[in-house]
Amino acid sequence: MLFGKRKNKASSLPKTEPQETAEGVVAETAAEELSYDGGITVKEANLHYGDFHALKNISIEIPEHRITAFIGPSGCGKSTFLKCFNRMNDLVAGCKVEGEFTIGNVNIYGNIDVNELRKNVGMVFQKPNPFPMSVYDNIVYGPRTFGIKKRAALDEIVERSLKQAAMWDELKDRLNKSALGLSGGQQQRLCIARALAVDPKIILMDEPTSALDPISTGKIEDLCMELKNDVTVVIVTHNMQQAARISDKTAFFLLGDLIEYGETDQIFDRPKDKKTEEYITGRFG
Amino acid sequence: MNRVKAKEYASKALFAAAAIVCIVAVVAIFVFIVIRSIPALSKIGFFNFVFGDVWNPDRYDEYVTDPLAGRYGILTMIVGSIFSTVGALIIGGILGFFTAVFLARFCGPRVKRVFGAVINLLAGIPSVIYGFFGMAVIIPLFANISPTGDGAGLLVTSLVLGIMILPTVVALTKNGLEAVPQELYEGARALGATHEQAVFKTVVPAAKSSIVAALILGVGRAIGETMAVIMIAGNSPEIPGGLFGSFRTMTANIVLEMGYAGEVQMGALLATGVILLVFIAIINLLFGLVISGGKKNKGGKKLSLGVTMPKWLNFSAIGKVVSWVCAVFVAVFLVLIIGYIVIRGLPHITGDLLFKNYHYGGEPALLPAIVSTLLLIVVSIVIAVPLGIATAIFLNEYTKKGSKFVRIIRSSIDVLSGIPSIVYGLFGMLTFVVWFGGSSSILAGGFTISIMLLPTVIRSTEESLKAVPDSFREGSFALGAGKVRTIFKIVLPSALPGILSAVILAIGRVVSETAPLMYTMGSVLQPMPDGFLGSGATLAVALYALAGEYKYMDEAYATACVLMVLVLILNFFAGFIGKRLGKKFQGENNAVRKTKKQSKQSSED
Repeated sequence: MLFGKRKNKASSLPKTEPQETAEGVVAETAAEELSYDGGITVKEANLHYGDFHALKNISIEIPEHRITAFIGPSGCGKSTFLKCFNRMNDLVAGCKVEGEFTIGNVNIYGNIDVNELRKNVGMVFQKPNPFPMSVYDNIVYGPRTFGIKKRAALDEIVERSLKQAAMWDELKDRLNKSALGLSGGQQQRLCIARALAVDPKIILMDEPTSALDPISTGKIEDLCMELKNDVTVVIVTHNMQQAARISDKTAFFLLGDLIEYGETDQIFDRPKDKKTEEYITGRFG
Repeated sequence: MNRVKAKEYASKALFAAAAIVCIVAVVAIFVFIVIRSIPALSKIGFFNFVFGDVWNPDRYDEYVTDPLAGRYGILTMIVGSIFSTVGALIIGGILGFFTAVFLARFCGPRVKRVFGAVINLLAGIPSVIYGFFGMAVIIPLFANISPTGDGAGLLVTSLVLGIMILPTVVALTKNGLEAVPQELYEGARALGATHEQAVFKTVVPAAKSSIVAALILGVGRAIGETMAVIMIAGNSPEIPGGLFGSFRTMTANIVLEMGYAGEVQMGALLATGVILLVFIAIINLLFGLVISGGKKNKGGKKLSLGVTMPKWLNFSAIGKVVSWVCAVFVAVFLVLIIGYIVIRGLPHITGDLLFKNYHYGGEPALLPAIVSTLLLIVVSIVIAVPLGIATAIFLNEYTKKGSKFVRIIRSSIDVLSGIPSIVYGLFGMLTFVVWFGGSSSILAGGFTISIMLLPTVIRSTEESLKAVPDSFREGSFALGAGKVRTIFKIVLPSALPGILSAVILAIGRVVSETAPLMYTMGSVLQPMPDGFLGSGATLAVALYALAGEYKYMDEAYATACVLMVLVLILNFFAGFIGKRLGKKFQGENNAVRKTKKQSKQSSED
């Protein structure tokens, strides 16, 4: 019900209209009308940290409204790759990204507004990082950044985001308490709610449960499953069971190479590549 | 969205501009003072100036007159500065070294905390108070043992300067000792060395370079010190003959004669400032060499272990005792100086003294000085704090470590923090005083002292910016916030306690400085200042003025008491607020630690 309501809202936004017309029109209007609606397409991506070649020639298509999991041993480049999608790698000194990254109809390494990109591509970090302010202020931080100032509108966003993150009942009475006082699991779900508050099309999750206890982990997994109705989720995880449980597609990375990518069932039941099989059956990593 | 971008660029440009001010200030200080001293140097002759041992200026000497009537040789003062610095190094260096060893290795955490506070208090006491204490208490004591019957001179100066450089020496030495890897110590103990042997034969040699660096920095402090020295050295321009011989340092020379200097004389005094800067430059260079050399050596050098020493030479055990003695001496000295001034000053703090306006020729009254101090605080904080914070933001949030521009800014800040306060005074006199109407004013004093405050404000702000976890910044960027928004909404609010404590520290500095204000803001007791363009003496300057008139000793004690308590309260407050910064992020860390523990437990199940 909740999500239905939000979808209606989304479709009433004017900028989604061009997509309903013929393909040619979309291409024509693309010059003015950038839209992050749609999947992620990457062609021949390479990434260097100084001399280190961290990602090698990676091409992948990530479908809309699905959960895609990146798995692989530490240092395989999966988190690095994830951070290309919202250009968080820009913040790393000496990091150079090559290749074509498209989200919706936007070439995200073209001449675009990075902040607009990050509004549309939210991110949840490994370690919960609530700001040292109240729960409420944490959630409205993003909307305020993009110019929403009316208290009523912000209140609505807070309620909507917290409900979407399934923690409205837990937090509705402590919206003005410091977010640092929450438990680790609550903090992480708050961070998800915070990311949802700006209406992103995609949410990137960088090992979101690795610092959490099993119960909190379960809650976040449930949350992911529900979120995919509204957003595209890309999740990096160390935990293969987690990938198998929640994802629709899985990509296996090893030492900067994308070894195998396919439907999650296929990857876990009938891996095509020997290395994938070895990793999944726990022989290395 | 373009407006956002424009805002980003504009902000970055502003922050960078603030950082450039530091470079400009360093260049301006050197250029102004050097250029203005050249006519005098060429008139007197560089060799005659530096190696001439007669200082007998004639205030009617002008550049056009030929030949000079006075003699302008500062050799005696160069020697005086060197002697007193060496004396300070012997006293402060030894005391400081052993106190640091004691703090780092021979005391429990509680004693360490108390002593840390003691050392901080010592560092916070204004130099004019040290001078006053030396003049009013130590000199009369020394007069009893002095063959000349006068206690002033080299010994008392060395002692007071030694105590003054002690906090610097202790802080750096202690950090160096604490940075020595614990494995070295444990290795020595495992080979059968006692605790004392391990400390003195293994840990101390391993920290050699930071100890030397600490001493060099102490030397820099001692040679640049002005107000304390001027009150206790005797000030006759001759080479000190023995421990109780009167002498004059370069810094004292500038303060003593600038007030009534003639044309060539003033040039010669500026040139004295240049020579002082040369000494400081050499010291900075040495410091840099020692620091970088220490880093290089760390890997390869093998350290001798204490156990190979013959057992009969019980140096280590003696060291332990000396460490204790030094630490106790330092604490006692602090209690003595604070206690004595409070006991002598408190009864004389009267309503008349504090709240009455002063008129020339009347009884001393401090209200104008208090008002002047407040106005000076306003001016200098308004200038230095925004500039300092913007520079710190630029350095910490915008720049990459290795870039050349950043290195230049950083070394400018280092140079600024090493320049003696009297040189700032000279610079302010040549620039701000002239620009603001030709006579000393609160505004000119404020500008002068603002430059001086920059290194303090920048460094402590940077510390607190660094304490803000990167995850906050990432979180903000990931939500689409730009750099400026992230800085103002996330980083600065988180760093606020640290920045506040920097501001309070800066206020403490303004209250305690004397030398840079003498010739920029006013050097005698005056009636109520005439707005920001009027001149006035701050409390510290008032103390110097009162101490010079033996008639008003009680009032001087009272002023010293007010000044000292004020500064100590400010420093205490700064420390208190600064500590809250650390606590602020603990909630977050605790939460994570807790969940980690939980997940560990559950994975064991």
